[in-house]
Amino acid sequence: MGTLMKSLVFACAALAAAIHPAHAAEPTGEAMAATCAGCHGTQGRLGTVEFMPLAGMAEQEFVRAMQDFRSGKRQATLMGLVAGSFSDGEIEAMARYFAGVKPNAAK
Amino acid sequence: MLNRRNFLKAGAGLALAAAFPARAAAGAGHVVIIGGGVGGATAAKHLKLTNPALRVTVIEANRSYIRPYGSSEVLTGHVGMDDLVVSYDALKSKYGVEFVFDTVTGFDPDRKQVRTAGRQTVAYDKLIVSPGISLQYQAIPGYSAAVAETRAPSGWIPGSQTALLAQQLKAMRPGGTFVIVAPPNPYRCPPGPYERGALVTEWMRRHNPSGKVVILDPKDSFVTDATMQLGWHRLYGYDIPDDYLSDMPADVDNRGKPSPIEWVRAKDGGTTERIDARSLTVTTRGGAVKADVLNIVPPMKAGKLAFDMGLTDASGWCPVDRRTFESSVHKDVFVIGDASIADAMPKSGFAANTQAKVTARAVAAQLAGRAPGEPVWGNTCYALAGSNYGLFVADVFRLKDGKIARVSDQRYLPLDASMAKIRLGAAYQQAWLKTFTEDCFA
Repeated sequence: MGTLMKSLVFACAALAAAIHPAHAAEPTGEAMAATCAGCHGTQGRLGTVEFMPLAGMAEQEFVRAMQDFRSGKRQATLMGLVAGSFSDGEIEAMARYFAGVKPNAAK
Repeated sequence: MLNRRNFLKAGAGLALAAAFPARAAAGAGHVVIIGGGVGGATAAKHLKLTNPALRVTVIEANRSYIRPYGSSEVLTGHVGMDDLVVSYDALKSKYGVEFVFDTVTGFDPDRKQVRTAGRQTVAYDKLIVSPGISLQYQAIPGYSAAVAETRAPSGWIPGSQTALLAQQLKAMRPGGTFVIVAPPNPYRCPPGPYERGALVTEWMRRHNPSGKVVILDPKDSFVTDATMQLGWHRLYGYDIPDDYLSDMPADVDNRGKPSPIEWVRAKDGGTTERIDARSLTVTTRGGAVKADVLNIVPPMKAGKLAFDMGLTDASGWCPVDRRTFESSVHKDVFVIGDASIADAMPKSGFAANTQAKVTARAVAAQLAGRAPGEPVWGNTCYALAGSNYGLFVADVFRLKDGKIARVSDQRYLPLDASMAKIRLGAAYQQAWLKTFTEDCFA
């Protein structure tokens, strides 16, 4: 049973990969997230209030925010330009990375 | 002073017993970083974040860093020189980065060692060089380092010249002219000369209302030129040149009156041919301009160390493999920041910061026997047209056909942006000075 499940999961993963082939040149979530850190804090762990801390943000919240910046649905100064430079898959990879980082304790 | 041949020789005759032993564990190793500016500091921190087992040593001449970004705010008294000083303490205590406060005087790429003025020999597995820029004072006839320290400061690498320029502005006669000679491309901080002009203009409205700023330029355009000029127009009554008018929003209305800030482009004769330091006169292709305060931002090349180490090419900058920023000249040596040739990326602190992270990951991967991952870089330059008037250029960069290419098409604050967004841009500029410094140094 366990083996069957594993095979199924593997098969589904393989199928998903075939439908949405990983972009030949896609940076890791961590690598992309590093470009956010100049404003949003190292690893998104911003301890001050000026920008949104990204560490620990729920994946869906990050994905929705970036998609809304990209579409213009959400008002921004420069986040629309930044979000427009990443694909859906890349935004999801960044979301997974930030969701897994422990947020900074409030200062 | 050592010339390049002597410099390399000084590295070549080193004792076999290196002061630092080579790698201790698999995946680990000793990474030596020369230069503790934005690039070097960020690389050190991110190497330790990526693999805490790495030994990371920064060789830096100064005990603390003076940040260039935001340093024009010293001229207006918004911050003092002390506010520009950044400590290395967090890199040492929080991340375990080692520091050697010394000057590099020798380099042996075969033995993978560098030597310092204090006669220390430092062996590396990988060497990251972040040498910054050198100001080519002598490229402008009549100008020199000595003139920059006395009569006509540059203040582009912050320090004594920044403080001198601030004093000269305060002491300028009522109705005097503050002349900025802008540099040719490529140079550090592309919007910088124009932001400086704006901040000085704003300062003079309160403290020297009949004074004016003239920017003499060997170029016809600059990054953020449309949004910056729109700010000058709204704040100081600057007339926008005809060739920028068609894209401007409806509130733009040129008055045809003299403005306290003037931008003289190459096509209007703005290129400087020589200066006379005694009379503070700039001779341009369009004629002579008499200054009361003369601020010259000279042409730039890679930092002197890059030349001494033989890392530059005929352009005066350092050719690198674009994926990792490994030097095209020496294996296991990486050049990051302003000194590197990075195609579409500007010479900015933000660019150096993201280059440092990509290179730190690549170096850590190589030491662990893995191939470097796919790179991505970013840049955001915030700039001010006035203390409450912010603008920016924002870009994401990727590797395309072996070169670094911009992937974002929109780059600027739209010209029809609301005043609320413009004020927010200024607030973000101030916030960024803090958050960015933390990301690099803390």
